[in-house]
Parts: sequence; C-alpha cells; structure tokens
Amino acid sequence: MRPPPLPELRPLLSALGSALRRGLRHSREGMRRIEAMDRARLRAEARLMVLCGCFFLAFALIGGRMAVFAASEAPEPARGGSIEDPILGTRADIVDRQGRILATNLATHSLYAQPHQMIDPARAARELAAIFPDLNEERLLRDFTGERRFVWIRRQISPEQLQAVHDIGEPGLLFGPREMRLYPNGAIAAHILGGASYGREGVNSAEVIGVAGVERFFDERLRDPDLSDEPLVLSIDLSVQAALEEVLEGGMTLMNAKGATGILMDAHTGEIVAMASLPDFDPNSRPPVATSGDPGDSPLFNRALQGVYELGSVFKIFPVAQGIELGLINAETMIDTRGPMTWGRFRIRDFRNYGPALSATDVIVKSSNIGTSRVALMIGAERQRRFLDSLGLLEPLPLEMVEARTGAPLLPRQWSEISLMTISYGHGLSVSPLHLAAGYAAMVNGGTRVVPTLLRRDEPQAGARVISPQTSRIATSMLRQVVTRGTATFADIPGYEVGGKTGTADKPTPRGGYYDDKVISTFAGMFPASDPRWVIVVTLDEPVETSGAEPRRTAGWTAAPVAAEVIRRAAPLLGLRPQVAAPQGGGVTLAAN
Amino acid sequence: MSFLEYQVRFVPTGWRKLLYVNWALVALVTAASLLGILMLYSLAGGRMEPWAGDQLGRFVLGFVVMIAVAMVPITVWRRLAWPIYLLSIGLLVLVDIMGHVGMGAQRWLVLGPIRIQPSEVAKIGLVLALAAYYDWLPTRKVSNPLWMLPPLVMVVLPVVLVLMQPNLGTAVLILGAGGILMFCAGVHWAYFATLLAGIAGAVWAVFESRGKPWQLLHDYQFRRIDTFFDPSQDPLGAGYNITQAKIALGSGGLTGKGFMQGTQSRLNFLPEKHTDFILNTLAEEFGFVGSFALLVIYGLILAFLFHTAVTCRDRFSSLLVTGVGVTVFLLFAVNMLMVMGLAPVVGVPLPLVSYGGSSLLVLLGAFGLAQSAHVHRPR
Repeated sequence: MRPPPLPELRPLLSALGSALRRGLRHSREGMRRIEAMDRARLRAEARLMVLCGCFFLAFALIGGRMAVFAASEAPEPARGGSIEDPILGTRADIVDRQGRILATNLATHSLYAQPHQMIDPARAARELAAIFPDLNEERLLRDFTGERRFVWIRRQISPEQLQAVHDIGEPGLLFGPREMRLYPNGAIAAHILGGASYGREGVNSAEVIGVAGVERFFDERLRDPDLSDEPLVLSIDLSVQAALEEVLEGGMTLMNAKGATGILMDAHTGEIVAMASLPDFDPNSRPPVATSGDPGDSPLFNRALQGVYELGSVFKIFPVAQGIELGLINAETMIDTRGPMTWGRFRIRDFRNYGPALSATDVIVKSSNIGTSRVALMIGAERQRRFLDSLGLLEPLPLEMVEARTGAPLLPRQWSEISLMTISYGHGLSVSPLHLAAGYAAMVNGGTRVVPTLLRRDEPQAGARVISPQTSRIATSMLRQVVTRGTATFADIPGYEVGGKTGTADKPTPRGGYYDDKVISTFAGMFPASDPRWVIVVTLDEPVETSGAEPRRTAGWTAAPVAAEVIRRAAPLLGLRPQVAAPQGGGVTLAAN
Repeated sequence: MSFLEYQVRFVPTGWRKLLYVNWALVALVTAASLLGILMLYSLAGGRMEPWAGDQLGRFVLGFVVMIAVAMVPITVWRRLAWPIYLLSIGLLVLVDIMGHVGMGAQRWLVLGPIRIQPSEVAKIGLVLALAAYYDWLPTRKVSNPLWMLPPLVMVVLPVVLVLMQPNLGTAVLILGAGGILMFCAGVHWAYFATLLAGIAGAVWAVFESRGKPWQLLHDYQFRRIDTFFDPSQDPLGAGYNITQAKIALGSGGLTGKGFMQGTQSRLNFLPEKHTDFILNTLAEEFGFVGSFALLVIYGLILAFLFHTAVTCRDRFSSLLVTGVGVTVFLLFAVNMLMVMGLAPVVGVPLPLVSYGGSSLLVLLGAFGLAQSAHVHRPR
C-alpha cells in the first residue's frame, strides 16, 4: 500500500487536479479551434489555388490570342468607322457665286465579296471578269477560294454594273451603299475644285475626303455635319469659267502652245471670277500623280497658281508707277533710251531702237527695257523690293487652295543693281500669273493692295495703300494707251476700254541660260479703263503664231488676241455694258508686238 | 519565450516599415504606369499634352498616397472598412441624385481640383467591407444561407447604383469581384456550381429557342450575337474592335513598328484610343513582345499579391489582398478580352495604363492597402 497522502495536501492536490482537467479540456477546445482555423486556412488556400488556375487559363487565352493576332496579316477591310464614330457621308455641296452646283454627292454602291458564303466561286469570278474587263479572273478566283473572309472588288459601281452583278445571283457578292463626289460640269474649274477620294471605308458607308484644291482646303468645313446643308459658295462664275476655258483651249491650239492659263479677277474685292489652267483633267476621275517627267507638264499642275515664271515686260508698269508715286518722274518725263545700255558685263537691249529718249508713258507703250531700267536705277533696289513686297509679289499667296503654298516666288539671291534693273522689266524674279493679277489689281483699283480669294465676298477689300489714286489713274491711262497705240492693239475690244501690257519672256533652260525659241507670253490687263473693275491675265506657254511669213512668238501676237477674245466673251456675262461711241471712221490700227 | 513566439510577435514599426514594403510590387506597378504614360505621350504625337502630363501628375500623387496608405497599420484599415464602404455608397447615391438634377449621365464628383468617380471608390469599399465581414463571421457560419444574405446585399447595392448611372462595365466588375471574394472566403462551392449551371442553362435555352414559337430574344438581338461570333459579317459594328486589334497586332508583328511609329491609332481610326483601347497602340508600336510584357507584368503583380495573401495570418488582410488582386485581374482581363474581341465592349479601362484619374488613384490606393497588409503582417 502506498502511504496515505498528507491530509494537508489534499485540497491542494484536488485543486491541482481540477486545474489540470480544466486545462486539458481547455487545450482540447483550443486544439479544436486551431484545427478549425487550419481547416479554414486549407480551404482558403484551396480556393486560391482554384482561382489561380482560372486566372492562368485567362492569361493563356489572352496571350494565345495575342500571339495568333501578331502572327496574322492585317485583315482586308482595313479602314472603317465604329458605333461611336459613324462615318459621315454627307459632304456639303460646292456652288458658284450664283448658286450653281460645282460639286455634289451621288448615292452609289460598292461591291465586295464574302467568299465563305459563295456557292460557285469559279462562276462568280468568270462573270465578274466579264462585267469588269480590268479585273483578272484568276486573281479573283484565288481571292474567292483562299483564306480571306472579305474581299473588296470595287469602290463604286454604276447602276448598270450593279444590275449585272445582281443578275449573277451569287449570295457571296454583296453591295454596300455609299456616297460618291460628283462634279457635274466635268473638267470645268477642275484645278480649283481639286477632287475627292475615299478616306475610311466601310461596308455600309464610306468617308469622302478632299484630296486637292478647295475640296482639300475646306475639307473640315465641308465635312462638318452642322454645315452639311449649307453649300460652300465660291467666287467663281460658272459661265465665265466655261467661256474662259473654251477660249483658252482654242487659243492654245491656234498658237501651238503647250499650256495656257487665264485669270479673271475683281480688282476691288479680289474675288477670282474665273481661273483656268490647261491642260486640265476631269475631277470625277482624277489622274494619278505622275511619278516621272516634269511635274509642270502634268494636267494636275495648276499653272495659274503653281507655275512661277519670269513674266517679262508686264512687270514694267510697277517701276514706272513707283517712280511716279515717289515723285521721281511724271507721265511726260523724258527718259534716256539710248542703247544698248551696258552695266558691268551686262548689256540691256530693246526689241528695237526707240531713239535717244521716250516719255515715261511711251516707255510703257513701246515697252522699253532700257527706259524702265533707268527708272529703276532712280528708285534703287531696297525701295523696289519693299514696293513689290507691299504688292504681295514676294511670298506665296494665301489663297484658299492647298496648292497655293507651293507657288512661292523665286527671288534673286542678292538684290543687286543688276537684279534691280532686270526685275524692272520682268526678269530675275519669278511669280505666278495669279501674283501678277493681284499686282495689277492694286495698280488700277485706286492703289490698294488686293489679296486674291476664291470665296464670294461682296464688299471691296480694305487693303493697305500701295500707290495714290492719282498714280493709279496715270498707270491705268498708260495701260489703256498700250492697247490703243502700243504693243497690244490686238487686245482692244470696242466698247470695253481694255487696257493692259504684254510680256514676252524667254524661258530659262534647266542649265541656267535662256532658250532662243521658247517663250512665256503674257497679257495682263484690266477693263473698262474709265473705272477699272476687272483684271485679266492670260499666259501661254511656248506659243508660236505661224500665220505670217516667219513664226511670231511675242505676246502682242499670241496672248493679247486670246485675252481679247476672253474679254469679248466674258464681259457681257459679267454684266458689263459696252460703251460704244458713235463710229468716227475706221480708226483701226494694227501694229506689230 | 520560444523562438516561434518571438517570430510571431515581431511587427515592424516606425521608419523601419519602409524596409518591409514589398518594393518589387511597387516597381511592377510603377513600370505598368510608366508604360501607360509612354503610350499616352506617343498617342499625342510626342507631346505631354493633352494626356501624358496629366497622367504623370496623377501617378506621382497616387504613388505618395500608396506609400502613405501602406504606412498606416492594417488594424486601422480594418476599423475603417465599414465607414469607407458606407461613404462610397453615399457618394454613389449622391452622384445618382446629382446626375438626375444635372440631366446627364454624371459619373463623377468634383472635390476641389480632383474629380472622383464614386464607382471606382465603391470597388475598393466593397472589397474592404467583405473582408471585414468574413473576418468577423465565424468560419462555420460562412455557408449558412442566412449569413449569406448580408454580403449579397453588400454586393448588389453598389452594383444597382452603378447600373443606374449607367455604367455597365464597372457594374459587371463589382459583381464579379464580390462573387470571387465570397468564393475565396469559403462559401460552399455548391452555391457557385448552381449559379454557373443556371447561367449555362439560360444560355442554352436562349439558343434553343431561336426560331421556335417561344423565342426568348428579339431577332436583332440574335443577330448581334451572331456578329459577336463572326465579326466579319459587320466590320463596322460589333466586329470593329476585333478587326482593329488584328490590325494593330498584325501590323505590329513580333517587335512592333517602334515607339511613336504607330499609324493606326494616331490616325483616329480607333475610338477611345487613349482610354479603353490603349492596348492596341501598345501592340502596334511594341508588337507582341510589348503587349505580352504587359501581360507578364500583370501576372507578376498578381503573384506577389497572392503570395502576400497566403502569408498573412489574419483573415482580413488575406481577403483584402486577394480582393485587390481580383479587382486588378478583372480589370485587365476584361479589358484585354474586350479589345481582342473575346468579350463584348463594356467600357473597362486597362488598369494603371489607361488615361483616367480616379481609376489610377484608386488603384494605387488599393495597392497601398495591400502593402499595408504586407508590412504589418506578423513575422
């Protein structure tokens, strides 16, 4: 037997025992709690594993898709709109100053194929090639039987073609509605309008965007949905434009020229009423940009704006008017015209010898290079440069056509005294015919600067003053006398008081000299002389008039008669009443150059 | 005191907390954000205006917020969970009311110089509240139908309020994040299985009903489904995104056209090019390598977050960090699937990369919460 426990210890022992039991129970509960927590933890970890599995699948899906896309070719219907940004098919019309349509839209269809829906691709390819002769049957068949699910066939088709394709009865050939830009007048005003093409293209619509001319310049305005009902009003008059183009075409043929350009502009408002450049094109099927040859020979080239030429004697009015304005000369001042005039190693000659001296008026009327050079020497290079700059002849015109900034004048590298003299008779400084028209407008409109515009504008431009009204009157009178008794007598049209100046400039060779037998022949003028309202510039490129014994190239024989015919046709259209005095015998004179 | 206990009791304090921030995660978050700023810079044609400068400023602000949030003990956030959730609900109600007053779908509130989208705050508020709820609830009651009701209400309330704005994308995201978080909290899998089976059954019924007298959807709705599965039928409509993504990735190829060389995005062919569809720009300029790299960055971010979630001892931290990860995952997964035509377009931005102030700030704040859990877990 064990010795009995000490009685004193009994309560202590029982207390210890119960504490032990409590502790054990406690720890069992604790264990259970810990076990429960561990279970929750295990479950949470398992759930997280499942989640990670799902996430990994998503990663694999996205990554795989990326890889497949990256390895694929960019698909065919490359451009399109979206739900938020629908393609706007409504482009505003363009109208002339009287509201006649120059450009509008026409509903048409595109043609595309969904090869996987085709029943008989071979037959479809064969019949399509028959309808559209320029399509290649084998190529179509290859497209229709290949991997592609979408093939564009035509951007726009005619109603007849639509019907013919419809009659094939192939469900895989589909039509998409869209609008096309239509120029109902064909080639008339082609360079001004420019042309349009498709931008973003989709199956159900396509975006029409301007590619050149005012279509490009005003592209955002024309596409603005808020303004789609408001046509863009140009300053062009369709009738005058058509007359100008017709006469230029005839004149170009008659004078055997390779190009021609004509501008008719309001001398006060700067509105261009007609502007043409030949050869031209039909904006309905704008030719591709030439990749070889001289870009100046392309029909897309706008000679009136982009063609910068040395324009010759038409410039003479500028130094003479400036001389009068500065008080250096007046219309009667006699100017030394003894020639040839030598200046360093340069010699300046006249077309013929005009004797020892001419009045300032006769320097213009007879077109004396020596006379204008003497006047220019009085003015000086810096004053001449500033004067031409004030006319806007030294920088690109801010005209509303994208091509305007490519028509930058070519200035002499150094404005030396010899430049001063050659520029006074139109050599050594190249500007576009439109620059010249703007300069002439300032000479005859009372003496304020004019900036040409293609938008209709009803009030005169308040341009900076260039010369005084008196000087402007004298210059106008001089120009009138060139036509009545000078080099441009062929330009006279009875009743319209035409005034103007001829200019015949040798064309520069690419090497730096001048051709003997290639000229740019220009007539720049205005009418009616009693109150000049219109400015006209006609320029022919390499004209030869062959009716006489020997070929004649001077502007008096080539550009002036063409300009006269333009005025004869255009003046009534412009609402000008001929001021015909009672005929006083046959006062007709015909003079050479 | 045993070694184990000593380890368990150690929690960094004071400035030493900075040492215990998960800097790798910070670096990844920064990398994704900078990639986004780079893309915005490129999209603007090499200019900080109008997007990249803004985004950079917000990122700097958000970065400071993230570190500041990380320094606050996780127990404080545990206590703030309910107030934040209730605040976000209040803001949602406020914006709905103000939207009605302002007669427009106004989604944000103007607080001084910052505009905040309450729906973004609600995402994190919900994660906090659910984590706090399941931390408080004894684990054996988790799957009890009665104890399932409060979290369901907590999820459905913001979803309904966001749907009223209307903002379908965020609503779907909140619903998804709430559901996945309940799954992680240990709600019995039978609930989820039933739910998935129900959805599958409904889809099956819809397709089966086509052409039958009891057709469940309108014809045009079926056509939309058709174009979703075969986008080439309507390249301008539903198939637009997939086509654009193909073009972007297809023309980008393996290595892309180079930084600032993308044309597709810059020529305005893409709508929302700086927000929801920024991935296309990335794909075009940096190719498959670039877009996959972004995917890898997101993957690593998730890996770090889940690692923190597993090593946290308390349930709140663990669930909170999981919730942040789930939110990030849903954002980028839905966005990428949407951009690549695998999901319908629901207007979800690419997290950290897309242009957008509230989204970036709230996300960086959420990463701050995850960092707080990481810093203050007992070691």
